[in-house]
Amino acid sequence: MRVSSSIPDAPPAELRFRRRISVVESARELWRAREFVRALFERQLRARYKQAFLGFAWAIIPPLIFMVVLTTFVQHAVNIPTGGIPYPLFSYVALVPWTFFSSAVSGGANSIVTSLDVMNKMYVPREVFPISTVLSTGVDALISLLGLGILFGVYSFAPKPTSVWVPLLFLIQLALTLGIVFIMSSLVVYFRDLRYAMSVILQLGLFATPILYGIDRVPQSLRLVYSLINPLAPVIDGYRRVVILGQDPAWGLLLPSAVVSFAVLVLGFRLFKRLETGFSDIA
Amino acid sequence: MRRGGIVVDRVWKRFRADRRRTLLRDELERLMARLHDEQRGWTWALRDVSFTAEPGDSIGIVGRNGSGKTTLLRLLAGVMYPYAGRVELYGKLGTLINMSAGLHPDLTGQENIYIQGSLIGLKRKEIARRFDEIVAFAELENAIRRQVKFYSSGMMLRLGFSTAAFLDPDVLLVDEVLAAGDAAFQQKCLDRTRDKILSGTTLVFVSHDLQSVEGMCRKGIWLRDGVIEAAGSVREAVGEYRDWVEKLEIGYRERLRRDGTARIVKMQVTGPEGNGSRSGELLEIRAVVESPESTEGALYMGVSEGPSRPIFVLQHDISLRHGETEARCVIPHLPLPRGRFYVWVGFFGKSGQEYLPWQPATEFDVSGPDLHPTPQGIVRLAPVQVPTAWEVGPP
Repeated sequence: MRVSSSIPDAPPAELRFRRRISVVESARELWRAREFVRALFERQLRARYKQAFLGFAWAIIPPLIFMVVLTTFVQHAVNIPTGGIPYPLFSYVALVPWTFFSSAVSGGANSIVTSLDVMNKMYVPREVFPISTVLSTGVDALISLLGLGILFGVYSFAPKPTSVWVPLLFLIQLALTLGIVFIMSSLVVYFRDLRYAMSVILQLGLFATPILYGIDRVPQSLRLVYSLINPLAPVIDGYRRVVILGQDPAWGLLLPSAVVSFAVLVLGFRLFKRLETGFSDIA
Repeated sequence: MRRGGIVVDRVWKRFRADRRRTLLRDELERLMARLHDEQRGWTWALRDVSFTAEPGDSIGIVGRNGSGKTTLLRLLAGVMYPYAGRVELYGKLGTLINMSAGLHPDLTGQENIYIQGSLIGLKRKEIARRFDEIVAFAELENAIRRQVKFYSSGMMLRLGFSTAAFLDPDVLLVDEVLAAGDAAFQQKCLDRTRDKILSGTTLVFVSHDLQSVEGMCRKGIWLRDGVIEAAGSVREAVGEYRDWVEKLEIGYRERLRRDGTARIVKMQVTGPEGNGSRSGELLEIRAVVESPESTEGALYMGVSEGPSRPIFVLQHDISLRHGETEARCVIPHLPLPRGRFYVWVGFFGKSGQEYLPWQPATEFDVSGPDLHPTPQGIVRLAPVQVPTAWEVGPP
């Protein structure tokens, strides 16, 4: 049976492979792969802390050191109004969610590239890799909350009752984080040098987000535009308001930010599913 | 289609032909190139490939390096998508592809088993239930709590295979992965794979070891530059591939020929009464060697199937005279099946001096019956025809 002579140069157009991507089917696949997500999540945690002498303390040390540096230098150099709140508390409550965001994005962006060999072995929905990276970064964030507890003790300060809004704020933050991680992790496969650009952007983000300062330092007229461009800003500011200042979130800024965040999640997921078809070809 | 079936329908797959670097700059260049000509910068890895497998089939895929075998396997595994055409695979899939990939060096063997197990879809409880079996099969009892980065490559392979081997897939894809293990473990893996076929699993087997393919599979596909060149029974497909490879190897044999002080003047292989050689009958090999001096030494004659698969070597102490010497070797009952074989010759002095380097000298065809058929999955069969007399009856 010889057929090679009759083969055209290119396949007829009607034969082209088209992949149909349905959100429902993707969600079902993801649910079936939950055991693997869990194993990956555990693997990341174990691998991260197994070799480290101080173990889980590494989750809490970076934001803590950063807070000390900020307190010593920034606070003394530029006097930032904190509304009577001790500056370490003022900055740390924003540093915890920021550290989660920035390490989830930088870790998540590499999650596909570093897992290409596993991916070429067996089919699993590709989104398990960024998702498990974000989850394991979340554990770090939980651990670094201990630092907040210590600060509460030191300044004999109790979180305000408005802290009930924290889960909502976290949901918005998670949506934005996952969305950006989906976008970055799939783009990095095709454009490896985006990784370097990203670390610069994240460094800028530290200053472009109200972490060292309150959002009230931004002129009133620009705040809405600011929140739309940096949807994380009202969220980080929200944490500070509800936990420390005892105020409700600034709804006028938070709602637009929530809309943008969920839009980023949906678009990010669609882009990811669109690009994942070619992941293995690049590897 | 029932569980275990495979449909591959007119599949095309292409890759970038350029450096494959993926920096922003490269992608921009490609974008510009694409505006001019859509097909440029791509090469086809597979063209118009179609085949189907029924549940329980065993298909061997052969071909040279770069002919698209691994790409086809990856398409079947669902980790790659075709450019055109349709790939469908029914039932639970097991793959033995690239087995030490995905092992995490900082974690212990035990932790890696759980990760690998969950990757192929096993529940935590199921893995725990089979854990001892997996460790025993991998022969890693003493090392399972050690970090994988301290494993040898053979240990990693064993860990990978054992984890994959203990699920019950409907379709099993096996790439050339066993080559790294030692002989005993390879045999164990092949036995395990054979058990799977016998219990009704569909097998797709990619290998350069044509013997394993012939032993393991009933159907064969020969891929050549991404195109199915031959498909059918494993003997037909692999046979055609072997013939084609042998034609390529003629040039290779010429290059193998080396000079020594002595040289072959004439080489003749004849069957009974000067006719062609036949299985089980007399064969005579005549070699005329010319030497510039008279020497004592050992004459070696070997027979191989293809240039690279030796079957037997004969040795005889002789003395070469100044000038030409004729050596005749008679094999009363030729123990070879039908096929094409090569004769190798060498002459070495008492203390190992190389007078006539070991080299292929000629080839001959044997007519006669094929080898007796073997039960499926018995591999590593040597192409030797043994004369037999059978008696069957009450003891």
